[in-house]
Amino acid sequence: MKLKLNRGVSYRLIIFVVLSLLALIIIIPYVWMLSNSFKTTAEILTKPGNVFPDDPTVSGYEKVLFESMFFKWLRNSLWITTVTTLAVLFTSSLVGYVFSKYSFKSKKILFIIMLSTMMVPVQATMIPMFILINGMGLYNSVWALIVPAIFSVFGIYLCKQFCDEIPKEFMESAKIDGAGDMLIYFRIVLPQIRPALGALGIFTFLDSWNDYLRPLIYLNSTDKMTLPLALSYFNQQHLTDLSATMAASALIMIPVIIVFLLFQKQFIKGISMSGLK
Amino acid sequence: MKNKKFVILILIPVFIYQTIFMFLPILGNAVISFMDYNPLRADNVFIGFDNYVKMLGDSVFYKSLINTLVFVFVTVILNILISLTLATFISQLKSNKTRSIFRMIAFLPCIAPIVASSVVWLRSIYSTNNGLLNLIIKACGGDSINWLGSSNYLMISVIIFTIWADIGYNIILFSAGIDGIPNEFFQASEIDGAGRWRQFFKITLPLLGRTFAFVTMMTLISHFQMFAQFNILAYKGLGPQQSGLVITSYIYKMAFEHKEMGYASAISMALLAIILIITLIQQRSNKVDWEY
Repeated sequence: MKLKLNRGVSYRLIIFVVLSLLALIIIIPYVWMLSNSFKTTAEILTKPGNVFPDDPTVSGYEKVLFESMFFKWLRNSLWITTVTTLAVLFTSSLVGYVFSKYSFKSKKILFIIMLSTMMVPVQATMIPMFILINGMGLYNSVWALIVPAIFSVFGIYLCKQFCDEIPKEFMESAKIDGAGDMLIYFRIVLPQIRPALGALGIFTFLDSWNDYLRPLIYLNSTDKMTLPLALSYFNQQHLTDLSATMAASALIMIPVIIVFLLFQKQFIKGISMSGLK
Repeated sequence: MKNKKFVILILIPVFIYQTIFMFLPILGNAVISFMDYNPLRADNVFIGFDNYVKMLGDSVFYKSLINTLVFVFVTVILNILISLTLATFISQLKSNKTRSIFRMIAFLPCIAPIVASSVVWLRSIYSTNNGLLNLIIKACGGDSINWLGSSNYLMISVIIFTIWADIGYNIILFSAGIDGIPNEFFQASEIDGAGRWRQFFKITLPLLGRTFAFVTMMTLISHFQMFAQFNILAYKGLGPQQSGLVITSYIYKMAFEHKEMGYASAISMALLAIILIITLIQQRSNKVDWEY
């Protein structure tokens, strides 16, 4: 790191204390969620200030896991997220490779046209998209969320940036050895751009897992819902049952937090290197 | 490399796909904004600029626009001030490990589904009787506040929540920017006797110029599009006296609750225009470019 200035331990100590307090503020809502999720509704009402429940219970979790369609929602979310992420990784790397390593007519302008759509807000396309999805017969199907999302302009941009770094000689010598375009893609391009794919995979996973607006528009019946949509539905169904709602929130957060902790280095690197969210 | 066949084989499907799922919807949205469009009706007719005329005379639209602007500017300014300060603080810590732990903690709310975070704040933090905030206020001897149920506090509550949920991204982006500044600059200025504030304003801030412009624009654009937390924290996406109604909620309501898709498209064109203007301003200011 950069600032290795030695100017008083006290200053750094103050900074450390301030940062620790802020870190505490950031974490408290999660602690509170977990705490409430293990309380009985009676305890929440009578002793709302307890951090550690007097009488810890998992009835909230039982209610979510066994009395709702939790596993159905989990399956929907996992399916949508997995298919979308794999598809985006494949299409982005392949198209990024073509834009980076091949020369063809009006390549620059085509790339710019594609990039320019990155700034378009979801709201500016969601109405025609709804009509289109409806017309394709995908309304209230998980495919309504997958089909329009298997392609990412941001992903192509990121992969192209990384493909640009691969030395030309790699490709040329492979060509001379008789490798075809797809073989070069699999054998040379994919391994070389792995860091980009790691970051892109994480971003796509998160975007897809956390998405709320599109499921809200395209999904209609309870059994088709994804987890975030189901949570807002569950919350409205259990307005008096705080512990079950907090348990449901915790259960939705756990998978992403696990992914984050497993890949946090790639995460942070991915954000800094892409410079984009 | 050259291989016409291969390029065509890859790019033709890409452009067909992009046309169907991106270019046509953008165009379609503009077309629908000139129609009286209800998806439940068989024939939908063109009505010229009626939707835009209606929008300009619609007090609810102005309300949503003002709420959006207040939300975006207050949140973005606070977000950038806080995240830049924290990134600077974090970068001044000695150990690499502590630095990455703080960045990781700040980033946690960014990865958690915003719906789940919103529900937690709605039911456990902001609730009037047993929410954590009011418990703390009461413990300190204050009166409990109706955070989400009063028009005075709703927007403040959403702003606090959004800053909590979103500063992690910018902390990491600013940290990367600060880490990229050559250490010699700080050492040289230290020899010259510059204090921390001077260093921040004379070195960090100017050299962070490009990161700063980029982060500001991306944050602005993303905040104009925020929807989930309003949908959950503001009752029915409206809140008392529509104090929590933002432009994205209004578009959603018009299109999918009232089935007035033509009118909703016209409003979304206004949102598109706002975002386009920000992008253009950013590109202008980006022309002044330099390296260190």
